[in-house]
Amino acid sequence: MRNALIIAWREFAENAKTRGFWFGILLFPLIWIVTAQIPRLLAAKGTPTRHFVIVDLTGRMIPVIESALQRDGQRREALAFREWAADNRRSGVSAQQISLESFDLQTTLNQIRPQLQTNAGTFTPPKVKFRRVAPPASIASLGDLSQLEVEVRAWLRGGLAYQPRGMDEEVSLFAVAIIVEETTTKTGPALRFWSENQADTDLRELMEEALSRDFRQREYVRLGLDQKVITGLETARTEVVNLSPRKAEGEERVGLVDLLRQWAPSGFVYLLWVAVFSIAQMLLNSVIEEKSNRIIEVLLSSVTSTELMAGKLIGIAAVGLVMIASWIGTLLVVMLWLVRFGGMTSQSEGALAQVPLELMTLLGDSWILPAFLLYFFLGYILYAGVILAIGSTCDTLKDAQNYMGVIVLLMMVPLVALTFIPRDPNGPVATFLSWIPFYTPFVMMNRVAAGPPLRDILGTLALLVVMDVLVIWGCGRIFRAAVLRTGQPASLVQIWRWLVKK
Amino acid sequence: MPSFVCRLGLGYTVNSLKNRWTDPIMNTALELREVTKLYGDFRAVDALSLVVPTGCVCGFLGPNGAGKTTTLRMILGIIEPSTGSISILGKPSAMHVRARVGYLPEEKGLYRKMKAVDLISYFATLKGLSRRHADERALNLLNRYGLGAFAQTKAEALSKGMSQKVQVLASIAHDPEFVILDEPFSGLDPVNQGVLEEIIMDLRARGRTVLLSTHVMQHAERLCDRLIILAGGRSVFDGTLAEARAEVPATVRLKSLDSLEGLRDLACIRGFKALAEGGWELELSAGTDPQVLLEACFVRRIQLSQFHATETTLHDVFVKKVGLGAREAVCR
Repeated sequence: MRNALIIAWREFAENAKTRGFWFGILLFPLIWIVTAQIPRLLAAKGTPTRHFVIVDLTGRMIPVIESALQRDGQRREALAFREWAADNRRSGVSAQQISLESFDLQTTLNQIRPQLQTNAGTFTPPKVKFRRVAPPASIASLGDLSQLEVEVRAWLRGGLAYQPRGMDEEVSLFAVAIIVEETTTKTGPALRFWSENQADTDLRELMEEALSRDFRQREYVRLGLDQKVITGLETARTEVVNLSPRKAEGEERVGLVDLLRQWAPSGFVYLLWVAVFSIAQMLLNSVIEEKSNRIIEVLLSSVTSTELMAGKLIGIAAVGLVMIASWIGTLLVVMLWLVRFGGMTSQSEGALAQVPLELMTLLGDSWILPAFLLYFFLGYILYAGVILAIGSTCDTLKDAQNYMGVIVLLMMVPLVALTFIPRDPNGPVATFLSWIPFYTPFVMMNRVAAGPPLRDILGTLALLVVMDVLVIWGCGRIFRAAVLRTGQPASLVQIWRWLVKK
Repeated sequence: MPSFVCRLGLGYTVNSLKNRWTDPIMNTALELREVTKLYGDFRAVDALSLVVPTGCVCGFLGPNGAGKTTTLRMILGIIEPSTGSISILGKPSAMHVRARVGYLPEEKGLYRKMKAVDLISYFATLKGLSRRHADERALNLLNRYGLGAFAQTKAEALSKGMSQKVQVLASIAHDPEFVILDEPFSGLDPVNQGVLEEIIMDLRARGRTVLLSTHVMQHAERLCDRLIILAGGRSVFDGTLAEARAEVPATVRLKSLDSLEGLRDLACIRGFKALAEGGWELELSAGTDPQVLLEACFVRRIQLSQFHATETTLHDVFVKKVGLGAREAVCR
């Protein structure tokens, strides 16, 4: 055991004492934070103002579109102001609700000024997202749709740079919207949207909604319906109360916090997957290095192959635990920081503010952390054993890639399952997958939140333990037989012989 | 015929083997009895028996594919023999005495990211030394053999020669009683070869047993007290350097205008061979001093224009013992 621990410490130090390891560990949560912020950053900075042209053949829809654009701009300004106000308010003061519908910057600013910090900067409104520009005279004067579209197509194909009348500089044209009177159906005017960018659908959807709404309003008038009644009906919503039978009487209402409890295991499954996948690679590199360097021969003259295997498994497992502990630690530090300095308390506004507190409570007093550690350990043994055996049969990483391809494919299944198992955690697919030992750690970690039958929990756990023992036994045999071998990677037949040889 | 010259065909005398296995006074560090290693139908080692006395440097020679590395691995307990038994430092397996055995394999490598001192210390701790003691030993050895300045250098930054020296030091850092060095000189420049010879001499001076596998006959001649030559998995010679030299007759090349017929009656001459470039090569019987031949020429009034006595080298012995077999192995 002493030698196994010496080997384990070296394995641990080799990986954990490098700058690259800690850089990778810090990079992981950083990537998540950046990924979460990218849509916001893109919305604020990345997406340029979309310049577009409207050719309205009906002659009456431009004011409708302009009105919709103004409402959208106002709403975006209100949202940006909300964030600015939240960042600049004094600690402990609850921010006033800022209306998105009837937002006026100056009025709202005056209202909430007492709640802002004295050194709060100036609010900068977001840049205009959509701007209508005048069409060229050659197009604006055309009244025939087919002739117009021939011209528009030719114009757009000639390049998107365009200097509209009344502007000093060229703009990049995003779209040309042609509104025509539709006479054959009862859908109102038709929108023919010409654009090279088919991915950004915001403008098209905004115009579609504005035109549809206007058509409906005009139809109500034409049919003699009371506009106020219709508006009231359109905004009416069915009240939905989400309740959970698991909760105590009087507290059945399901909120964000409950959803968090439901989805947190999925987050941990992802962590589990990344951890097992990362350290399995480390293990493979370690064995291949010792084999290709022939250090293995010196090691085996000093320790038994069982000690060597055990040392490697323990050392790399410790690396994995440090990795996971660092991720969870980072998460907790961020949460604590938000609670301590971000002004988020259980009394603060909105359920969203309670996420950090609830996450910490969840980690402290629920089964998630112990289950995570248990499944990490058992899952790691399973995959690590197989990878150790693969490493022992190959001289180079290139040789090992053939076998590793299969392992990676195997490991992709739980990652894909992550998308549907939380929705149906006790369904037939989830139940089936949880009985396959290679998937048990990931699937059961996901299922336990939904209270699967006890036989599933205990049965899959027992099967996983048995499989771990078998894998360690079998892979130990392969490791002992293959680790001194050089030359061509062992064939599957040869590996099978090592496995069954008496 | 005296029993000590009754050879077994494998290079042993019946009595010498009997004495080695039974004489309690003789201190044996390593003993192999009828050890065979089979890989399928292939006999890598074939009924190999040998004895290495304590405190000697024993050369382990043989052509490529002779079974040297397989034998060394069996001695170390890394692989099991198919049949036969091994005794090392009085135990049936090196695993029982691994803290007393050091090993430098033929193919050498180090952990690239580890510092020289940590590498030596790591292997020493695996052999039972405490971390502190191992660190001290590692530093002492590095300083003693000229690598003190590189103690904190990572293996990837060391030259090949330095790396190899670090490996040698790692194999002896725990001060083993028995050291197995497999091709330790390969890839070393003459200066570093000298350092390595110094290390081996130091080991012998302190009574350690060294089993030295090498292809360089000059090293074996300089360093080894005993020699074992392997060919085709079998031992073809086991003895001292003098005994090895006695295996191959010495030759004398001479030129003379006179007839050599007068020498035909000399018992110490085993054969005459006319040389293409002129002159003769005379093969002397084992143990004959070439001076005897020179004196006979003088007595018989044979005027010599050239007289060149060649001493038998280990190279000659090696080629004679394994040459044909080695060629066959290569051809296979």
